[in-house]
Amino acid sequence: MNPRIRAGLAGGIFGALITLISVDQVVYLAGMLAGTTAGMMVAYMEPQKKWLDGLRQGIQAGLLGGLFIVIAKLLRAILINPLIGDSTDLGGQFMLGLNGLVIATIISAIFAVIATLPRPQDLIGRYAMVAILTLIYPWIDQYFQYRFMGEVIPVLVFVLMALGLNIVVGYAGLLDLGYAAFFAIGAYATAMVASPHFGISLSFWLVIWIAAAVAAIFGVILGAPTLPLRGDYLAIVTLGFGEIVPIAATNLDTFSLSILGFKVIDNINLTGGPKGINPINRPYLPGIGAFQSSQPIPWYYLILIIMIFSIFFILRLRNSRLGRAWTAMREDELAAEAMGINIVKTKLLAFSMGATFSGFAGAFYGSYISAIFPESFRFEVSVMLLCMVILGGMGNIPGVILGGLLIQFADRLFLPQLSNMMQSIISSPQVQLPSSLSFLHELSFASDFRLLLFGITLVVMMLLRPEGLIPSERQRMELHADEEPVVEQQQTEVYTARNQETV
Amino acid sequence: MSENLLLKATGIVKQFGGLTAVNNVDFNIPRGSITSLIGPNGAGKTTFFNMITGLYVPTSGTIVFDGEEIQGLKPDAVTTRGIGRTFQNIRLFAHMTALENVLVGQHCRLHASLLGILALTKKVREEEAAAHKRAQELLEYVGLGRSRANELSKNLPYGDQRRLEIARALATNPKLLLLDEPTAGMNPQETDDLTRLMRKVRDELGITVLLIEHDMKVVMGISEHITVLDHGAKIAEGSPEEIRNNEQVIEAYLGRGAAAHGKGGRQTAATGLRT
Repeated sequence: MNPRIRAGLAGGIFGALITLISVDQVVYLAGMLAGTTAGMMVAYMEPQKKWLDGLRQGIQAGLLGGLFIVIAKLLRAILINPLIGDSTDLGGQFMLGLNGLVIATIISAIFAVIATLPRPQDLIGRYAMVAILTLIYPWIDQYFQYRFMGEVIPVLVFVLMALGLNIVVGYAGLLDLGYAAFFAIGAYATAMVASPHFGISLSFWLVIWIAAAVAAIFGVILGAPTLPLRGDYLAIVTLGFGEIVPIAATNLDTFSLSILGFKVIDNINLTGGPKGINPINRPYLPGIGAFQSSQPIPWYYLILIIMIFSIFFILRLRNSRLGRAWTAMREDELAAEAMGINIVKTKLLAFSMGATFSGFAGAFYGSYISAIFPESFRFEVSVMLLCMVILGGMGNIPGVILGGLLIQFADRLFLPQLSNMMQSIISSPQVQLPSSLSFLHELSFASDFRLLLFGITLVVMMLLRPEGLIPSERQRMELHADEEPVVEQQQTEVYTARNQETV
Repeated sequence: MSENLLLKATGIVKQFGGLTAVNNVDFNIPRGSITSLIGPNGAGKTTFFNMITGLYVPTSGTIVFDGEEIQGLKPDAVTTRGIGRTFQNIRLFAHMTALENVLVGQHCRLHASLLGILALTKKVREEEAAAHKRAQELLEYVGLGRSRANELSKNLPYGDQRRLEIARALATNPKLLLLDEPTAGMNPQETDDLTRLMRKVRDELGITVLLIEHDMKVVMGISEHITVLDHGAKIAEGSPEEIRNNEQVIEAYLGRGAAAHGKGGRQTAATGLRT
């Protein structure tokens, strides 16, 4: 298929899905996302040298994507809005759709034109563009009154954790099914030193480092017993740790320790048990004051800063002798050892570095929610994080971010919205459900179909694109080495260029 | 004499359960030599190799390398002390580029600490730049030009993969280079090139080479010193000339009949060993 049509389709379907389930103003956001997707994809699949070609290509892909949004808007106006009592003014809805189309086209064109710049300007331009969109998002949200910020922030916390898990699973190849344990440890460490629970209240700016350090230490403690294990066995042990930590947190509300008959610690409430610990102190900045849950913007920028900082250091790790040792270990542990790599040290460093970023996430999450419960760190969280890494592309930072954003937004915004819409359709007076379908009233799409949808997504991904949405160059070459030799040639060149940058 | 030995193994025994794979072998590698370890399949050559490199711990016996006992050390510790190796069935890091493979080989010679890496200090940057430069030089040294440096190692032709493995082993800065059947599966042209490379490594870099090899032409052509194992025991050692005329060796390779056949048989056997 023509790359322009493919890119337009991808962006369009994305935008249309959002448009279909959302109220009027979200069409601008749908346009932005559709344009970004279409522009980046078309520039990647069909690289152009001249900026005019890029412009043409970007506009074409963007227009196609925008068309989907217009159609989706009209469909919604005709089919759905009458049922749920939303606007049925076709002209107005069409105009909104057109607005979405214009935004999609402009943004797609900008991305496509940027991609025609010589390297490395094209990369800088692309990242700058993404950065601008990310930075102005809170104002878009406020202006159009989306009220998505409350969901966007936890989404970013999870993306940060996925980045940490990517070190363990993607770089070092250690399948960790209990990664949420480190999230819990980071959050509990925060709660213990920054809440009335023990009467200690250190500043958040110090606590976040304490949480990261504690998580890193636990990374080594929990990593050590797994050292002799590989593959499946390792996964099972980490699964065990993932279960132990929340259960321990539930039960450590009465903690006693006696050594040789002497009670060293007598009945201390360590974790608050099933009720958890709250309230946890909020960060304080001069000029802003203490962060409030009603004002999401400072939180948004704080988590962004933590993420950028994390990515920066993860990249340094990856391009170092340690990062190479992780990859070598993943490829062939025995050969790596014969090349002078200390497996014990390298594995433990992978576990503790991975845990560190989870510690940051835990500290942030704890003080954002201002309360923590053992329930928040269950096995499900570990599995979801793993899905994020796999969906996006193991071992590749942009892939992991994309996978994380998709899964988390689907889970926190898309499905609940879809579910609300379905409920309002079912309960609208125009819809007469036959009695055999009345069970639909009790179905909540978000919670009941969530895991099913994840399951289906994973199965489809594994069958069609096992390397993830944006695979690392390595993975892609591994899985599709026989196909498209020309493309592979280009990829090798990209790889060359990247390597030279590192030099 | 003993100060001229780079490696001195004494009374090496390795048992796997009830099976004795290597039985009371004494083995010396003179400094600066090219030494070969030969023997029929299953003679215990690779087991012996793996004991030197730390993959197996000998049941008994001592291995002294450069004045230090190394038996029972972990493979990475052995490599750090100066023994580099290749594998019988190539074990490159398949999805890393040729250059990255060689960089991994330098791992134990680089010193960047975790904090240094995170802070990306000037020292770490310089070390990385030097490591990349050296990796390029090593690739060129073994005959893989710049054009191959950024190919994934699994996409390289077979002969180049063998060379890359040698480059990777050289990157560990070894005093002793262990090559496990480096010419297996190569055509005569590639074999000749590789033989030249081995000699070059010894002559130019002063690295002692220990070779396991089945190709008698290579072994006889390049070695100064040959040890023959059969059924886990050492049956002969000496110069190529001595080995070529050793009854026991001929017997081990060609069976009792050939050796007992007298002069004619011996002639055939010797020709066999010579080719």
